[in-house]
Amino acid sequence: MIRVAAVGDVHLGEDAGGRLRPALDHLPEHADVLLLAGDLTRHGTPAEARVVAEEFRDVGVPVFTVLGNHDYHDDAVPEVGQILENAGIHVLEGDTAVVPVNGLTLGVAGVKGFGGGFAGKCGSAFGEPEMKAFVGHTVEIADKLRSALDSLDCDAKVALTHYAPVPETLAGEPPEIFPFLGAYQLGEAIDASGTRLALHGHAHLGSEKGETPGGVPVRNVAQPVIRKAFSVYCLEPDG
Amino acid sequence: MSGPAESEAPEYRAARLHRALAEDPRTSELGVQVSVDGDDIRLTGTVSSESCKEELGQVLHEWEPGATVHNDVRVVEADEPGEAEVIR
Repeated sequence: MIRVAAVGDVHLGEDAGGRLRPALDHLPEHADVLLLAGDLTRHGTPAEARVVAEEFRDVGVPVFTVLGNHDYHDDAVPEVGQILENAGIHVLEGDTAVVPVNGLTLGVAGVKGFGGGFAGKCGSAFGEPEMKAFVGHTVEIADKLRSALDSLDCDAKVALTHYAPVPETLAGEPPEIFPFLGAYQLGEAIDASGTRLALHGHAHLGSEKGETPGGVPVRNVAQPVIRKAFSVYCLEPDG
Repeated sequence: MSGPAESEAPEYRAARLHRALAEDPRTSELGVQVSVDGDDIRLTGTVSSESCKEELGQVLHEWEPGATVHNDVRVVEADEPGEAEVIR
């Protein structure tokens, strides 16, 4: 059994240090790895990243994260990423990690993801350059996720994104804004790659549980949705 | 910054205030819902701390000093989890 702790959208500001730490101090009792689903900061500043780094440093299990739209806001992604890496929080953007757990291996592939909408109600790369760029960004990121998941050789694969891969876990959000909350191409990549679990954040008003069209469990771990410091999911090895 | 025009429809007023709470660097809250009914403005949603909740009220008061703000925003919980979910 592999125990995966996950949370997204913690939105730590400069004055928020220590908010999650009481729960994180007991993390190894609950889980073997911690996955963060982006929007770690409020504005994506290096100062806020340093607060995040201290919050999730030395929690007793390996920590991996993707970044979210808030983490991009200050245009300081390289510096934010370096601050997190220096604290042992590994940033995934088209990257993978394989973690040994109790004689098994957990594979994690992560990307930020992007919007675009879901099958039948989505944008297309057509018309104005701005629209082509919007959808092109989504497709590029989904392709990176698919390649990363395909490259994993492990006992159980987990896909980690900030934006949602399915609309089910957005239930509770206004349907009109679904195209800004996720994209079906992410779900398609997850379904194509033997993934066991998909984790995302971003949708604060959404729902925790969903499933891809191919039957992969999807969990929205945005902190306002799970209403705790982190959730824990137990995976048994494939086969 | 401009306040509400006499003729501004409540839909435009709610949209303007929603954008203000998203784009003002003191708040940067994209997930807070704003509803407008005359001089009453109601905020719902979730934020990460009590100070974030208070900032919403302060920013809104600058935009609409004459309005009554009902700040029903919830501060998110950060307790340890209960039982884990087994993924089959």
